[in-house]
Amino acid sequence: MPDQKKTLSIFSFSDVQLRFLKYCMGFFIPLIIVYAILEILVLNIPINYKVFGNYLNKHAPEIEVMALGSSQMKCGFNPALSDESAINLASTSQHHNEDFQILKGTINRIPNLKTVIIEVSYNHLELPHHPKDYWKNSVYLKYYEVNAFERPTWAKDKLIYLANARFYSHKLMDHYFYKTDKSQLNEYGFDTNNYEGAFKKLNYDETKIAEHKFKIITREDLTIFKNNTAYLYKMMDFMKEKNLNVIICTAPLYKTYLNKRNPNIVRRRDSVLSEILKKYKNVTILDKETDTLQFTAKDFLNENHLNPDGAKKFTALVNRKLDSLH
Amino acid sequence: MLFNSFSFGLFLPITLLLYWAVGFKRIKAQNLILLAASYFFYGLWDWRFLFLIVASSLVDYFAALAIKGSESFSRKKIFLYSSIIWNLGVLFLFKYYNFFIDEFALLFNMQQGEYAFSTLNLILPVGLSFYTFQTMSYTIDVYKNRVSPTNNLLNFLCFVGFFPQLVAGPIEKASDLLPQFSKKRSFDTDQVKEGLRQILWGLFKKMVIADNAAYVVNMVYASPEDYGSLSLLYASILFFFQIYGDFSGYSDIAIGTAKLFGFKLSKNFNIPYLAQSVTEFWQRWHITLTRWFTDYVYFPIIQKNLRSNTRRNIAVYLTMGLIGLWHGADWTFVIFGLFQGFLIVLERTPLTKNRKSSLFHKALMPNFMVPILGFIFIIVSSILFRSQNIEEVWLMFKRISSFIPSENIGPLINKRFLVFVFIMMASEIYTRYKDFPLTKLDSYFNRPTRWIIYYILIFLIFRYAGPKEDFIYFQF
Repeated sequence: MPDQKKTLSIFSFSDVQLRFLKYCMGFFIPLIIVYAILEILVLNIPINYKVFGNYLNKHAPEIEVMALGSSQMKCGFNPALSDESAINLASTSQHHNEDFQILKGTINRIPNLKTVIIEVSYNHLELPHHPKDYWKNSVYLKYYEVNAFERPTWAKDKLIYLANARFYSHKLMDHYFYKTDKSQLNEYGFDTNNYEGAFKKLNYDETKIAEHKFKIITREDLTIFKNNTAYLYKMMDFMKEKNLNVIICTAPLYKTYLNKRNPNIVRRRDSVLSEILKKYKNVTILDKETDTLQFTAKDFLNENHLNPDGAKKFTALVNRKLDSLH
Repeated sequence: MLFNSFSFGLFLPITLLLYWAVGFKRIKAQNLILLAASYFFYGLWDWRFLFLIVASSLVDYFAALAIKGSESFSRKKIFLYSSIIWNLGVLFLFKYYNFFIDEFALLFNMQQGEYAFSTLNLILPVGLSFYTFQTMSYTIDVYKNRVSPTNNLLNFLCFVGFFPQLVAGPIEKASDLLPQFSKKRSFDTDQVKEGLRQILWGLFKKMVIADNAAYVVNMVYASPEDYGSLSLLYASILFFFQIYGDFSGYSDIAIGTAKLFGFKLSKNFNIPYLAQSVTEFWQRWHITLTRWFTDYVYFPIIQKNLRSNTRRNIAVYLTMGLIGLWHGADWTFVIFGLFQGFLIVLERTPLTKNRKSSLFHKALMPNFMVPILGFIFIIVSSILFRSQNIEEVWLMFKRISSFIPSENIGPLINKRFLVFVFIMMASEIYTRYKDFPLTKLDSYFNRPTRWIIYYILIFLIFRYAGPKEDFIYFQF
């Protein structure tokens, strides 16, 4: 029914409008309550970002080593086995732009930070920075107190469920309903029970693994390569300015993955790394990508991620590298 | 500010409250609020381009008044051409200049620095093609006496900058939208509810259908050389659903938002996947753009000789080629348009003596062939539209036609997503004579049932929305 009220003063509502406002409130209030419950439930899930954040808040003054990178580094480096006080802030799909934001945002809180471990894996330099993963900015803000938004933040920027409802809906279902979440995070946020990958399903049988199909990106992209390389140099300059030692890591890959790599991408990446090594005195490289002697099928979760056994070996190699620095 | 963002969720109710709170008799105050809100909405992308919108609005506002005020036809023409040159000039500068310079250099095999004009480092203002066409049609209509020019600058600025349709249409004719700004708008609860329902349906199409499809499409099109023929075909079909969900979803949100303010915008989509021919497809897809090009390009070409088939065919090619080019400055879009034109011409070509049948006429085309041809049409169009360049188009066709095994197609197929696509299509087909599936729900269900439907849709949007993507048509 059209509103028939004729006379109104400025900034006032008619009865019809007020009735409609009440109707809307009746509809939306239950939604807001449900959302609040979801947010609380999400905050109570033991996700790794939360544990990283807690560790960072409690132990920041003691931390000497910070590892950054993607899921390969997240699965490969267990700070609990590190000889020096370390934190691993690597996470799935985290690229250099996010690494850099985290480093810049936390460095002032970690006065004893001496070494930063950066990951430059197989196609890191030809993989675009992930603008679509900006939902993680809320996570960084909430748990690391790092403003990766590069703008003043609002209260809603700290709402975790809203940041990526899809991702957290999965997490909620896994944790509270299906109870399929088998992760066991240690106090550093490292999952010590991270064995449930493709290789375990194949019983670590090398013949079956050889036939297993997996995804590998082989597309070359020189524009992204140039941009990412320039960005990496920017990070290196920053760390040099801050007198930090840098270990550039390449995490181990299984041989089937190694065989399918695009040699041009590998060549370009390696040439950048050798240039960096020449230019920066504070940089060393820990290249374990092709180490098929120490890392066997049983050390892998899948073709390009280590399981906790592999992480134990890889962390030992990092320890040796750290020893050589001091 | 995206329609599917938290900021818009705050912006819209605040604007609505202010708009209706000033009282429905105060048209000027309401228009002022709309204009301020529209410029704020647009300025959040890049406030500098607000000057461009204001400049375009002023040029056309004064050009239209000058046309009306001129006695002689030659003077009227001068003002009309000034407006067209300004609009097309702005469009050319921001959208096509670099493309033509690059192609010119390529044609004459010149290296950078060898030619006098260099490419410009300009950002394409969001929605430029939409509002430019809207303002341009206004001056043309005034020139042709189809519409009277408005003396009210505020109303005209609102007509150009009206935020629900500013950045991606529907492209409105002045005769439809402009008078609405001078009419009294009364708060109609039923219309507002309709608007909210249409917004909800649009969000479902955008966030659940389009964004989930985009995830697969982007992955496959990022490295087509890593995928087999079936995977590439699958991704190309998904792209059709992506762009349909994206743009028709956007249009639903725009039309629904306009309804909240008491405005009626034109329907932009009419279940295009039910089309039986390419001509019909374009009558159902981006209807306001097709209408614009039909009125301002196609008809002016054919009106001098309506019976000439050659002239009509040339007009079809030109119109469709320009529709292609409107989408973006790349040969893929031009070929996309010409391909549509070719099929339309083919449909119209009489193959029998009585001149009533064409290749696509039922007498020659068995019914079962229509969906097969439709399928091929969708795949070819999707590849031309989605590919970044001609090389990628070629690569896609080459790989698809080489029957390369698709070992990695499994992870691309998300059964739940396909169920959502089915739900969308079934709902739209079942309610095909209505504006959108949730229209007039009050007539069929009581309040608790309606609310349950809304809550389910909201749940699906939250739970199953794909990774957030920009609206595709914002780039045009």
